[in-house]
Amino acid sequence: MIKFITKRILIAIPTLLIIIAFSFSMMRVAPGGPFTNERALPPEIEKNIKAAYNLDKPVYEQFYIYMKNIARGDFGPSFKYKDFSVKELILNGLPVSVTLGLSAIIISLFLGSLLGIIAAINRNTIFDYSVMGVSLVGICVPSFVMAPLLSLFFSLYMGILPTSGWNNGNILNLILPITALSLPQIAIISRMMRASTIEVLNSNFIRTAKSKGLNQSYIIRKHVIRASILPIVEYLAPASAGLMTGSIIIEQIFGLPGIGRYFVVGALQRDYTLVSGVLILYASLLILLILITDIVRAILDPRVKI
Amino acid sequence: MQSTQKNIKNNNLLININKLNVFFNTPEGLSHVVKDVNFNVKKGTCLGVVGESGSGKTQTFFSITGLLAKNGYAEGEANFKNYNLITCDDEIRRSFLGKSIGFIFQDPMTSLTPHLKIGDQLAEIAIYHKKITKSQALQRAAEVMDVVKLPNNRDIINSYPHELSGGMKQRIMIAISLMCEPDLIIADEPTTALDVTTQAEILNIFNDLKNNLNIGLVLISHNIGVIAETSNDVLVMKNGQILENGNTHEVLTKPKNDYTKHLLSCIPPWIGN
Repeated sequence: MIKFITKRILIAIPTLLIIIAFSFSMMRVAPGGPFTNERALPPEIEKNIKAAYNLDKPVYEQFYIYMKNIARGDFGPSFKYKDFSVKELILNGLPVSVTLGLSAIIISLFLGSLLGIIAAINRNTIFDYSVMGVSLVGICVPSFVMAPLLSLFFSLYMGILPTSGWNNGNILNLILPITALSLPQIAIISRMMRASTIEVLNSNFIRTAKSKGLNQSYIIRKHVIRASILPIVEYLAPASAGLMTGSIIIEQIFGLPGIGRYFVVGALQRDYTLVSGVLILYASLLILLILITDIVRAILDPRVKI
Repeated sequence: MQSTQKNIKNNNLLININKLNVFFNTPEGLSHVVKDVNFNVKKGTCLGVVGESGSGKTQTFFSITGLLAKNGYAEGEANFKNYNLITCDDEIRRSFLGKSIGFIFQDPMTSLTPHLKIGDQLAEIAIYHKKITKSQALQRAAEVMDVVKLPNNRDIINSYPHELSGGMKQRIMIAISLMCEPDLIIADEPTTALDVTTQAEILNIFNDLKNNLNIGLVLISHNIGVIAETSNDVLVMKNGQILENGNTHEVLTKPKNDYTKHLLSCIPPWIGN
């Protein structure tokens, strides 16, 4: 186990290096720069600014300086948010984004699996059809449509929830964004869980369990769930990636001060260091999640050896 | 003389199947797969059931144990311990299943839950039916592993199904069915997926169960050799009907039905006699 984890962390380092190099060069290839404005700066000032941010040096030297700083844990100053370092910006936004993303993933895992199992047990009944029907809507309606509809209904018409804002993490402010973020995932997970549970219910070892005279709830708890949840565990990493990109939009709509907006704004304004910093964070989170997925899979399925 | 013999037989009666019919609702309409089947199983004897694929031999016993697919249903009587297993409550049937009636399936490779340890799969049935503790159940597991001639050690108890061979898994399946000291064991083609050496060993275990533990055994097979080796009586089934029912030796040496003759003629001539 420890050997496996160390190996995976060691593999993660070159992966991250490639991602950093890729984002670094992509940003430089994109036309314009952080200090390109509609009105050109006087050449002397531009030269000074570029010198201050090392932009006057050749690209490979810039890359070398950037990598050297990252190795020291310094992600550089933001080009656009003056007086802030990238690290400060990320650390400010991270609690918001983590609260949002983590709650969304826990809720969608729990609700999605639960609905999927119940639908599978009661397949071809009204419950099954309604869950599957609603989930189809959940998959088809993008979250940037769902989010305004939710705030229109619950905030403006019913007036029970605030439309937007962080409000120091008040639970009422979080309900709508978390709902909008997790609905599509609940839909996908419940459909996956239904399919895999039906497959497990039809398998030979469940027939054996039935022939042992065990009752249904015992069979579901002991024999079905651990086998049928495996595809969901494997889906955890792509789901998290979906939630990360989804949260960029949701944070905008609900005016939440997370890191998603830095990613978009940073890219548009060619804030080289900010975009790279957020990207490194997202990539590391994903690599970590894939690692956790593999460990959980090995715990659930004894046939997987790590 | 004959009447006393009959009486003894009746006292030994374990399960009586009377006018059993099994139907399946299919998109093409109602399919009648088991037609008016009657037979008995006695304690300490083995009833062999032969027939080709699709002859209804498995579905007959699935209907008795409530394992029919969702679109299937059964009519008739399966009298076991004063209950008709076809019409009784699911609750009552479940209280017999695993406890008084053991079922062994064709494919040992997929019949054990992959994520549970062998010890847990053996113990759970006794814990569930007899309300005993896990350590008591594991003690019982050690006893039944001895009966099925598995080395009684911690290794097997603590291993997962994928770590065992096919023959060992089938022994575990038999051991599971023995955990609660059943009266009747139904084995649905228990040796089909195994190699010939293992087959012989498993059949020896079945002979022991029947002779030493006085268990009534039903052995479903399409292999007449397997039936000849273990069963006292034999049913020959085709298209959901019983074509011949009687003492194994008599049926196999003096078949009355054309289909039985045909089946026997399929055995290569250099075997037997």
